[in-house]
Amino acid sequence: MPNESVSSLVNSIKSSSIGIVALDADGRIAFSNPAFCEMIAFADPESAGGRSLLDHLGSRFNCSVTDLQQALKLQVPASLELRLERDSQPLKLQIAAAGSGLRIVVAERQSASTPQYALEHDPLTGLGNRLLLDQVITGWKPSAPDALSLAVIMIDLDRFKQVNDTLGHGAGDTLLKLVAKRIKSATRLSDTVVRMGGDEFVVLHTIGLQPIGAESVAARIVELMSRPFLIDGQQVNIGASVGIAAINHGTDSIADLLKHADLALYEAKAAGRGNVKFFEPLLAQRAMERRNLEVDLRRALGLKEFTLMYQPQVNMSTGALQGFEALIRWHNKTRGLVSPVDFIPLAEELGEIHAIGEWTLRAACKEAMSWDGDFTVAVNVSPIQFENQRIVEIVRDTLSSTGLAPERLELEITEGVMMKDYDTAQKHLWAIKDMGVGIAMDDFGTGYSSLSYLNSFPFSKIKIDQSFVRGENSPKSRALVQAIISLGASLKMTTIAEGVETKEQFDELAAGGCMSAQGYLISRPIAANTIADFITELKNPAQSRGNQHD
Amino acid sequence: MTEPLYRLVYISRNEITGDDASVRREIEQILEKAREKNPSANLTGALMFNAGCFAQVLEGPHDNIQDTFERIQCDPRHSRVSVIAFEPTASRQFSNWSMAYRSANSEASAKFSDIMQVSGFDPAQLKGDHILDLLNQHLLESEQSS
Repeated sequence: MPNESVSSLVNSIKSSSIGIVALDADGRIAFSNPAFCEMIAFADPESAGGRSLLDHLGSRFNCSVTDLQQALKLQVPASLELRLERDSQPLKLQIAAAGSGLRIVVAERQSASTPQYALEHDPLTGLGNRLLLDQVITGWKPSAPDALSLAVIMIDLDRFKQVNDTLGHGAGDTLLKLVAKRIKSATRLSDTVVRMGGDEFVVLHTIGLQPIGAESVAARIVELMSRPFLIDGQQVNIGASVGIAAINHGTDSIADLLKHADLALYEAKAAGRGNVKFFEPLLAQRAMERRNLEVDLRRALGLKEFTLMYQPQVNMSTGALQGFEALIRWHNKTRGLVSPVDFIPLAEELGEIHAIGEWTLRAACKEAMSWDGDFTVAVNVSPIQFENQRIVEIVRDTLSSTGLAPERLELEITEGVMMKDYDTAQKHLWAIKDMGVGIAMDDFGTGYSSLSYLNSFPFSKIKIDQSFVRGENSPKSRALVQAIISLGASLKMTTIAEGVETKEQFDELAAGGCMSAQGYLISRPIAANTIADFITELKNPAQSRGNQHD
Repeated sequence: MTEPLYRLVYISRNEITGDDASVRREIEQILEKAREKNPSANLTGALMFNAGCFAQVLEGPHDNIQDTFERIQCDPRHSRVSVIAFEPTASRQFSNWSMAYRSANSEASAKFSDIMQVSGFDPAQLKGDHILDLLNQHLLESEQSS
């Protein structure tokens, strides 16, 4: 062959996308082209010569080379498939003898279009999918000393929805592709990276000492996700939360891996964005308890386990009874009395608060109708209930079906209502106020207590939080209480102090101009069936006291 | 039709550790890789660095900047990447891709001055542009705080 043709052949081989390698009788690389080096991840193609191909594959990948070893032993042409990484397309190898023990291996990457490949991969990112993940997990067995554990690293993107909503789905798709690449760059070749769907990804980490190995991969992923992306001419910033579970590190069964990683992820998200949490048995226990509580809570209304207690509210200058605040109690057969602090947040999360809140409103109004006197009834309403467009209608229906005069009903709301959806909340509250129902601002002074809420929402009453009342003896608390009372007076809103426990607190508040009070000093919350007696006694204090002396 | 031109300007923290020789090795690798990849991707710009930080300007087609930026983002030799500008631009400010050690310390600058020469860095290209001026200030401040 003329020299020119030789060099053009060499150049063609060098620039070919087909991998070509010549092996000597001992399986050492005599020649390899760049495409082949890239396929088998030789970092430095220059130094490939003289290295044993099988040794390299064995050390670089967590793959089986038995077939290739067999084929190289036999001096006959062979063709086989070699899957280097679990989630990659296999390499198609053609092996031929080339005289004097030399073997030529031609390698070609399988096309991504085989039906099996398509079944196991996500078309958008090219990563594996749920099916591949399940296969790899079920097929996993502990092997080498550094592959004794299997870790599931579950990744959930923060703020992905905002990207989709503001920049469009095209930008969202581009972001997912870039995210997939960044995640891959943080993992080893032997790891399996899959997209679970949406913005959730999983890395199966098979090699390395757990849990340190998985934790460092997770930390790297969180770091990479926090760096800016450039998409459609825009800078995009997201983040990631990660949960990890690993065999022999809190998780014993392969079947539990994904579930445990999911629980750890839930914990990571609850701890704020950009966190990594490792699974611990306590999380499973907590999740189980939560689930049980959830089931019980969903049944509580049906089983009539809720009751209302009523705490009297009195006028501070005359001592006359004004009304009652309805307070919910949950008596569960097995749990006993469950505090609202423990079940209201869960009810809000589950959406059960809508039904519970409606029941409370109805039961309180009905109860108030049975009282001897025009006493008011105050009912707590959760911010979540204001997400229901029907809230105004529910209040109106309750009033008309129970026959309670609107002026006798008072809704106690916290500032959470205003913070969720300011405009809608304002609209609803004004509509309710226009019916004649009173609106009290609960826990005033403990949250943001933005004065603009007092300005734009139709409050008729400010409720001074018990933390200020209890601190009445400190000059600062006293000054704050005084300021809240004057604020109420100037804005034509009445003020009520809650948690009044001592005569000193009562006198101090009364002297300061606070109009009403409730608390243990006046009365603890009382059961509905004792209200009639309570009212009678208050109406005829002398008589009842006299009776006692008799 | 030519593709619209974009300009990316970012700064990041230099995470290369070790003695002068190993820093030089890493820097030369970055230079070599960039000189190999950037011309074919139609990218121009400059990478400035000192012991504290990197500051880079990249000019070229949108997707090529995106690709290169993704590669840069996954590079462990830096951290805390902060994009200062990513926007369409009418013309290129840099005619090639160059690299320079920017330091208030003339001794340190002298140590890497050959890299500036090899890469054809022209300090005059930084003048007169508000963003690049800011970049220069960041560089020098980060050096002090490192």
